[in-house]
Amino acid sequence: MSAILEVENVVRAFGAIRAVDGATFTVEEHSVTGLIGPNGAGKTTLFATIAGSLKPSSGRIVFSGRRIDRKPAYRVARAGVVRTYQAARVLTRMSVLDNLLLASKDHPGEGLTGIVLRPRASRDHERRTRARALELLALVGLDSHAHAYAGTLSGGQRKLLDLARVLMLEPSLVLLDEPMAGVAPTLRIELLEHILAVRRELGITFLVVEHDLDFVMQAADRVVVMNEGRVLAIGTPAEVRANEQVVDAYLGTAH
Amino acid sequence: MSILASGGFWAFVGVVAGIYTILSLGLQVQFGFAGLLNFGQVGFMALGAYTMAILVVKEGWSMWLAAPLGVVAAAVGGLLLGLPTLRLRADYFAIVTIAFSEIIRYVATNETSLTGGTQGTIALGPIGTASQYNGGWSTFQTYVQRTLGFSSADATMLVIVWAVAVVLLTLTWLALRTPWGRVLRAVRDDEDAAASLGKNVFAYKLQALALGAALAGVAGLFYAWEFSFFSPDDFEPLLTFFAWMILLLGGIGRVWAVPVGALVFGFIFAGTRFLNFAPFTWVASDERAYIRLIIIGLIILVLVVLRPQGLLGNRREMVLE
Amino acid sequence: MFLQLVANGLVTGSVYAIAAVGVSLVYGILRLVNFAYGDFMAFGALVAFGVNVPLHQSMAVAALAGMAATAALSLVLDAVLWHPLRVRRAGFMSLFLASIGLALVLRQSLLLAAGSAPRSYDVNPYRVFVLGSVRLSEAQVIAIITAAGTIIVVGMFLAVTTWGRVLRAMADDRALAAVAGIDVGSATRIAWIISGLLAGLAGVLAALVEYSFDPNFGFQLLLPVFAAVVLGGIGSAYGALLGGLTLGLAQEVSTWSGFAGGVNPVYKPVVAFSVLALALLIRPQGFFGRARVG
Repeated sequence: MSAILEVENVVRAFGAIRAVDGATFTVEEHSVTGLIGPNGAGKTTLFATIAGSLKPSSGRIVFSGRRIDRKPAYRVARAGVVRTYQAARVLTRMSVLDNLLLASKDHPGEGLTGIVLRPRASRDHERRTRARALELLALVGLDSHAHAYAGTLSGGQRKLLDLARVLMLEPSLVLLDEPMAGVAPTLRIELLEHILAVRRELGITFLVVEHDLDFVMQAADRVVVMNEGRVLAIGTPAEVRANEQVVDAYLGTAH
Repeated sequence: MSILASGGFWAFVGVVAGIYTILSLGLQVQFGFAGLLNFGQVGFMALGAYTMAILVVKEGWSMWLAAPLGVVAAAVGGLLLGLPTLRLRADYFAIVTIAFSEIIRYVATNETSLTGGTQGTIALGPIGTASQYNGGWSTFQTYVQRTLGFSSADATMLVIVWAVAVVLLTLTWLALRTPWGRVLRAVRDDEDAAASLGKNVFAYKLQALALGAALAGVAGLFYAWEFSFFSPDDFEPLLTFFAWMILLLGGIGRVWAVPVGALVFGFIFAGTRFLNFAPFTWVASDERAYIRLIIIGLIILVLVVLRPQGLLGNRREMVLE
Repeated sequence: MFLQLVANGLVTGSVYAIAAVGVSLVYGILRLVNFAYGDFMAFGALVAFGVNVPLHQSMAVAALAGMAATAALSLVLDAVLWHPLRVRRAGFMSLFLASIGLALVLRQSLLLAAGSAPRSYDVNPYRVFVLGSVRLSEAQVIAIITAAGTIIVVGMFLAVTTWGRVLRAMADDRALAAVAGIDVGSATRIAWIISGLLAGLAGVLAALVEYSFDPNFGFQLLLPVFAAVVLGGIGSAYGALLGGLTLGLAQEVSTWSGFAGGVNPVYKPVVAFSVLALALLIRPQGFFGRARVG
C-alpha cells in the first residue's frame, strides 16, 4: 500500500499561537486512519489546512503525488480530498436531494455558458446525477427525506447526508471530522458500518478525527496521535493504546 | 375621485411599477438568490440610462445600438465593482456598494461636458436636440401604438414595459431552476459549504452581480424613455432603498413576488402623488412628498420587524435570518 | 497652502472621527450598522439650532442640548425598535434594513418639522484666527478644540474606566463577555448614550464648520463616516478615530496643487472612498478589524 497523503512539517499559526506546530505523518491508501488527541491538540486546524480552507504557515501537504498546500478549498476538493464538518454542514435551506445534486462534479449546467450553449449535455448530466444521488440516499437510508429541507434532519441524519454528499464528489480521500459527535449511540453502529462499507465497496481512504475512542479502536487500521500541535505517536490502535506518552497526554489534560 | 377612473393615472402607476419590477428583479437575483448585499443598484441604473443618452444625443448613434450598449455598460459596471470588492466581508461590501453608486452620481454631476451635469440630459446637446434620444424611442413607441391600435401613448408604454418585464421575469425564473441557479442558492445559504463542494463561489457571485446590474441597466433605459429627461439626482440611493422595500414587500427569493411588491409600491409612491382629494389635499405638496417617504420608511420597519418574509415569501427559506 | 489644507483636514477629520467612534461603539455592542446615524447628527444639529437661534442661548448650551436630545432619541429608539428586533434574534441584514427604514422616517420627519431651508447658527463667519500661513474661522477653531478634547476624553474613557473596558471587551467577543457576567442591558444603554452624545456633537460641529446646513446634510456626512469606520476596522473605536482623521486629512490634502495639480475639490468625497478602497485591497479588515464577521 502506498501513502495517499503526506503531511510534512506543517505549521499553522494564528498570531503567536501555533495551533499546528510541525505535524508530520502519512496516510495509507484505502485505510481508515484515526487522528486523535486531547482537546486543543490542533486536529481540526490540521483538517482545515489539509482541506484548503486554511493555508499552512509553512510545511508541505502532498496528495497522490501532488502538492495541495497552496491550493484554495475548491481546488483541493476537485483534486479528490473532501472533508465533512463537525456540525455536519448541510445547506439547511435547500432540500436533501438538492444538497446531493450540488455535489456533482463538472456539471455543464452549473455554468452560465453551459445552460445556454450545451442544454442537452446539461440535461443528461442532471439526469445521471439525480440517479446517483437517489442511489446514495437509499444507501444511507435517507431516500424518504429526499425533498424535505435539510434543516429538518436530526443530527445523526445530517451526518449521513454529509457522508452521502461527499461521496457524490467521487473523492479518493475523505476527511471525517468527528462523525460520531452529536449522534445518538444507537445510530453510531450504523454510521460505523456505513463508513466501513463505503471503504470496502468504493475503496475510499478515510482520515477520521474522533473523540469516541471505541470507534477509533474498532474501525481504524492506523492511528496518529497529536498533542499540542505535533504528532506524538503513530501505530496500530493496540500499539497506541499501550504507548505511555499517549496515556500521559490524555490524562494530563482536563477533559 | 374622477382621477381614479383616468386611464392615464393607472398607466403611469403601471409604468413606474414596471420599471421598478425590472430594477428590483436585478436585486432579487443579487440578494434573494446569491445573498449579495448590494446597496448600490441605482448606480447601475444610471450607467444604463446615461450611456444610452450620451451615445444617442452626443455621438449620434442609433437607439438600437445605444440601448443594448447601455445594458452592457451596466453589466460591466457590475463586474468592475465586484472584482475588487466581492471578497470583502458582507457589511463592508454593503457600504462599499453605496459608495459606488454615490461616486457614479458624483461623476455625473461634475463632468458637465459629458453628462450635462446637474441640468441633466437636457443639456447634452444644443437646444432641441436633447430630445432626440426620445425621438428614436418615440418612433418605436408610435409604431407599436399603431400596430396595436391603442389610442394613447401611455397605454403603449405600459404594454412595452410590462412585456419586457414579463420576458425578463420568465428568463430569470428559468435560469434559477437550472443547476447554475442551484449553485447560486447554495452560495447564498452557506458559501463555505459551497466552496468545499468544489464551487467557485467568487465567480458565481460576480455573475449574479453583473446580471443584476444588467437588469438595473434595462430599468435605467425605460426610466430614460418614460421621463424623457433625467439628471444625476434622479439616481440617488433612495431608489435602491425602494427596490429593497419591494423585495421585502413581495418576498425575498421569489421571482414572481417582485411584480407584486412593485405594484404595491407603484401605487403608494406614484399613485398618491395625483390623488387630489381629501385627506391628501389637507397637506401641502412638498410636505406630501415627505409624508410619502415616511410611510415607505415605516413600511420597511414594519416588514423587517413583523413579516420579514414579505407578502409571498417563504418563512423557512427566509434569508433575513 | 499645504499647511492650510492640513489644518482643514484636521477639522474635517476630527468631526469624522467623533462620529465614527459613535458608529463603531454601537456596532461593537449590537452588531448594528446604523444607517440612520447621519440623521441623528442632523437631529442634534437642528435641536442645537432651535436652542441657539430662537431661544438665544450660547453655542455651548445649544450644543449640549443637541447632544442630550440625540442621546435621548437613541435610547428611545433602542427601546422601541432595536430591542424588539433583538428579541426576535434579528441578524445583521434585518438590522441594517431597519436602520435604512429608520433613516428615511427620521430625515423626512425632520424635513416635515423644520423644512428644507438652510439655516445657520448665531456665530460670526468672518472672524478668523491667523497662525502663520494658516487661517482658521472661529467655527473651525471651536471644532478642532472641542473635537480634540472629546477624542481625549473618549479615548481615556475606553482605556481606563470599567465601562470603557467592558464596551471594548464586548466589541471583541460578545459571547464571551456575556458569559463573563457583564450586564449586557446596561452596556447597551451606555453605548447608545455615548453614541448619541457623539452624534449630536459631530452634527453640531459639522453644521458649525459648514456654516449653512439643512436636514439633508446628515446623509452627506454618513458615507465618509462609514468609510472611516470601515477603514479603522469596524467595531474598533480606536480604529474609528484613526480612520476618521486619516480620511479627513486625505480628503483635504489631496487637493494640494503639489500633487500634480491636485484633485478637483468637488471630488473630495471620491478621494475618501478611493483611500478606503485602496486600504481594503491591501488589508481587507481595515486597520484594527477582524477578517470575518463573528
